[in-house]
Amino acid sequence: MSIVKILGLDKVASFFNIIRQNGGIRGSLYKLYRQDELKDGTLVGEDKFGNKYFENPRYFYGRNRWVEYSDNYNMNYDGSQVPAEWFGWLHYKSDLPPHKDPARPNYPWMAEFTENLSGTTGQYTPYTTTRPKVEPWVPERKSTV
Amino acid sequence: MAAKQAIQVGTKIVKPVLSTNHAEARLRVLSLYKAWYRQIPYIVKEFDIPKSENQCREKLKELFMTNKDVTDIRVIDLLVIKGQMELQESVNMWKQKGHIMAYFKPTEEPKPKGFLSKFFNSNE
Amino acid sequence: MLRQPLCRALALSSPARAVPLASRSYSNPVPAEPEKVEVFINDKPVYVAPGTTVLQAAAQVGVEIPRFCYHERLAVAGNCRMCLVEVERSPKPVAACAMPVMKGMRVKTDSDLTRKAREGVMEFLLVNHPLDCPICDQGGECDLQDQSMAFGSDRSRFTDVHFSGKRAVEDKDIGPLIKTIMTRCIHCTRCIRFASEVAGVDDFGTTGRGTDMQVGTYVEKMLLSELSGNVIDLCPVGALTSKPYSFAARPWETRRIDSVDVLDPLGSNIVVTTRTNEVLRILPRTNEEINEEWLSDKSRFACDGLKRQRLVTPMMTDSRGNLMPVDWEDAIVAAARALRDCPPNKLLAVAGDMADAESLVALKDLVNRLGSENTCTEQYFPLDGAGIDLRSSYLCNTKIANVEDADFVLLIGTNVRFEAPLLNARIRKAYVHKDTDVALIGPKVDLTYDYMHVGDSASVVKISPRGPEGSALLAYTQELACKLQDKLQDKEWKVLNVLQRTASQVAALDLGYQPGVGKALQDGPKVVYLLGADSGVVSRDQLPKDAFVIYQGHHGDAGAAMADVVLPGAAYTEKRATFVNAEGRAQQTLVAVAPPGMAREDWKIIRALSEVIGERLPYDNLDEVRDRLSEISPALVAYGDVQENNYFAQARALAQSLQKPVSGKLDVQLKHLEDFFMTDTISRASPTMAKCIQAVLKQKDSPY
Repeated sequence: MSIVKILGLDKVASFFNIIRQNGGIRGSLYKLYRQDELKDGTLVGEDKFGNKYFENPRYFYGRNRWVEYSDNYNMNYDGSQVPAEWFGWLHYKSDLPPHKDPARPNYPWMAEFTENLSGTTGQYTPYTTTRPKVEPWVPERKSTV
Repeated sequence: MAAKQAIQVGTKIVKPVLSTNHAEARLRVLSLYKAWYRQIPYIVKEFDIPKSENQCREKLKELFMTNKDVTDIRVIDLLVIKGQMELQESVNMWKQKGHIMAYFKPTEEPKPKGFLSKFFNSNE
Repeated sequence: MLRQPLCRALALSSPARAVPLASRSYSNPVPAEPEKVEVFINDKPVYVAPGTTVLQAAAQVGVEIPRFCYHERLAVAGNCRMCLVEVERSPKPVAACAMPVMKGMRVKTDSDLTRKAREGVMEFLLVNHPLDCPICDQGGECDLQDQSMAFGSDRSRFTDVHFSGKRAVEDKDIGPLIKTIMTRCIHCTRCIRFASEVAGVDDFGTTGRGTDMQVGTYVEKMLLSELSGNVIDLCPVGALTSKPYSFAARPWETRRIDSVDVLDPLGSNIVVTTRTNEVLRILPRTNEEINEEWLSDKSRFACDGLKRQRLVTPMMTDSRGNLMPVDWEDAIVAAARALRDCPPNKLLAVAGDMADAESLVALKDLVNRLGSENTCTEQYFPLDGAGIDLRSSYLCNTKIANVEDADFVLLIGTNVRFEAPLLNARIRKAYVHKDTDVALIGPKVDLTYDYMHVGDSASVVKISPRGPEGSALLAYTQELACKLQDKLQDKEWKVLNVLQRTASQVAALDLGYQPGVGKALQDGPKVVYLLGADSGVVSRDQLPKDAFVIYQGHHGDAGAAMADVVLPGAAYTEKRATFVNAEGRAQQTLVAVAPPGMAREDWKIIRALSEVIGERLPYDNLDEVRDRLSEISPALVAYGDVQENNYFAQARALAQSLQKPVSGKLDVQLKHLEDFFMTDTISRASPTMAKCIQAVLKQKDSPY
C-alpha cells in the first residue's frame, strides 16, 4: 500500500481528475445540476442522437457504465432515449458496444428508433377498427388555409 | 272477514322498538343530535376533512331535517339506532375519510332541471 | 300550382272532351246483393256470397288453410296445390283457393285425406327445394319453413339414384334491390302476378315446364318498377330477398317499430326494423286506407341513407368560412344572437320536405314572436283566391282508398307514378278491375296503364302551372271540379283532389305557412332559418351577401352546405312526430332509433333557441306541443282520421276572378324511373338509391 493511498491523496487526485474531465468548475457544476453526479470514465461511443456512453471499471458493477444524454434534450431526458442497440451494452447484456459488434444485424427494413412519445402529440392513441354505424357529413372546406 | 282483518291490523298494538311515546322518541333524537354535535370538532380534526366545523354542523342539521316528517315512533327509533351506529363508527375511527366526506356528496352532480339545461346537459 | 295536383273528374254527362266512352253510364247504383249460400266448413255452417272461394269462406269462420300461391290482393293462380281440402262427394281433393263455393258444400279442412294431400304436396316441394335454411335470408319468416313444421315429413324419400343432383336453377340479376336465389323458388307465381297486375310491368314470367320450369325475366333485364320491392314480401320462400338487407339479421333479433313513411306525400304505414340502434330495413304495414300492404321502393330501400351524410354535431363557420363542429351552447347562442338582432321583416323561415308538424309549429310560433310573418315552405302552391284558407283546395279530398271507386280520373300536370307510387297503384287497380278511364293533361309519361293523353298544353284546362298562372290553373280546376260535382248523383263524392308532393306540405299549410319562397326572397332576408330545406329553392346566390343562414336538419346537403350555423335534428325514424299526408290524415312516427351523436328532436332545438333569444315558447314536452297543434287545428292530432272537407263552392267563388286566359305547357319533374329514386336528402344520401339509378340507366342502354 503506497503512502499516497494511505494519505487518501489518490482520492484527491481523482477528484481533480473528475473536475477536469467534466470541463472545469463551471462544466462540473452544470453536469452536477443536470445529472446529480459527477463521474470520470472513458468515452466508449456516441449514438446518432448525441448521447455519450461512458465506462469506468473503478466504479462498482452496475454503476460502471452510464450514459450522458445529449445536450439537445436539456433536462427532458429519460431512459427511453437510449436507442435499442446501446441498450444491451448499457445493461450488461453484452460487452461489445454496437459499433464494435460485427454480428449486429442491420437490415434496410429496420425502423428508426423512437423514444417513448407518450404525453406528446406524437403518442400512440388506440382507435376503433369497426365501421361507425352512422357516417357523419363532412362539410366541404371553403378555404384551404 | 276482510273488514275484521283490517280492523285487527289497524288496531294492532305494535311492540315498541325503544320508545313508547313521542316524547321519549324526541328525547332520543335530541340526545343523538347532541352527541353528534359534540363529536364534530373531533371528526374534523381526526379525519382531516376539508370542511370547517360550521359546515359540518350545517350538514348535521340538514341530515337530521331530512327526516323531520317521520311520525312513526318505531321508524324514528330505528333511525336513531342507525345514527348511533354511524356515530360509533365515526368515534372509533372505523370509518375512513371518504365515508365522512360521503355525507357531503362531493362528486354528485345535480340533475339538470328546466328545459334549457336538460337540452344542453343531457342527451334529450 | 299544378305541378302537384291530381285532379279527378267523373260523371261527365255531356260528351266533354275527355270522355272516351260516351255511351257508358257512370256511377250506376250497385246491383242488389244476391242471396247468400250456406256452406259447411268442418261442419260449421257459414253464409257467404256466391262466388266466394272455399278458402275465403273458411277464413270467415277462422279456419286458416295453408297456401303459397294464393294472395288476397292478387289474381287466383291455384298452382301450388297447398290449399287442397276434402269436399264431401268429390272424388278428389280440391284447391280451396280457386274453388267457388256451392250450396250445401261440406268442406273438411283437417281430415285425413286433406292432411295426406298437403303432406304430399309439401314433400314434392321439399324435394325440389334446397336445404339451405341456415343461410337463407327468409329464415324465420318463411312460409315454407313454417308450413313444413306442420306438414313436412321428418325424413326424405329423395334419393338421388341417377346422381343428377337436386334441382338447381341459375340465379337471375333483376336489379340492385332484389336478390334472387332461384333454386329456392317454388313457382307460386306471386311475383309474376304482382308485377303484371299491381306494378304494371310485364317483365316476369315462366319458361319451361315440369322440372325445367323457371320464373324469370326471359332476358337479362332489371325489374323496372317503382314497386318492385314488394315481391320480396310476397315471395313465400327465400327466392326473392332484399339485396341491401342480405345476410344482415334474423327476424327474431330485430325490434319492429310502427311508423310512417315521409319520403312521399302519401304517408304510407311502415314498420321500421332495428337492431342495436341501427335501422336495418323498412317494411310496409297494412293500412287499407293508404298503402294496402305495398310500399314504394324509395320508401323501402332509402333507409340506408339514414346512416350516411348525417349531421351529428352542431356546426358553425369559423373565421375562415369553414364549418367547424361546436357545442350546442355555442351554436344555439350564435343562432339566437342572429335571430334577435335581425329586423323582423328581414327574417325568413323556410320549411323543407320532411319537417314534422311539431317543429313546424314551434318554428312558426318563434318567428311570429320575433315579429315576422315570413314562414314559407319550399313547394309552391297558389295563394290567390281561396288559397290555403280552405283546406279543400290543397288536399286529396276523395281520400286515397276511394280512388278505386272512381269511374273517371283526370290527371292534371302530375306524374302520379313517381310522385305517389301507391296512389298510382290504386288508379291502376281501378283501371284494371273497374274499367276506370284515365286521362292526363301534361307531358306524356308511362303510368303503367293506358290513358287518354289530352295534351300538355295548359289551355286544355284553360289553366297552367307556376307563378301567377298557377292560381288561374287551380281556379279553372276548381271550376271544372265543381261543375262536375253538380252533375254527380253521389253528392258526397269530392271531385277536386290536389296531390301535394312532400310529406310536410299539408301540415305546413294547415299551420299557416306560405307556400313558396319567391316573394320572401325578393325582400332580401338578413337571417334565413332553413328547417330541413334542401331542395335548392333557397340558395346563396339569391340571398344578400351578409345574410346569415341557420340550417336545422338531419342530413348534410344543399342547405347545410350554405349555412352559417348547423343544428343537427332527427330523421323520421328517430323522433315521435306528426306528419299529415296528402289527404289530410295526421299520423305519427315513433322513435325507432336514437338520433345520432348530438342530434336532438327538432322541436326541442327550436324551443331551446327560443329560450336563449328570450322569447320562450310555452311548451316543454311533446304533449304540450301537441296541445298547441290541436289549438291550431284539431285535425293535426286526430291520428289516423281524415276530416271531411267542404266549401268547394266557396273556394270556386273566391277563385272566379282569377280565371285569366292561360298559356304555357304543363310539365312534371319526375318523368322517368331514374328521376324517382333520388328526390330528397335521405334518398340522395342512400347508396342503394344511387345503385338503382345506375342500374336503370344501364338498362336503358341494353337492347331489351
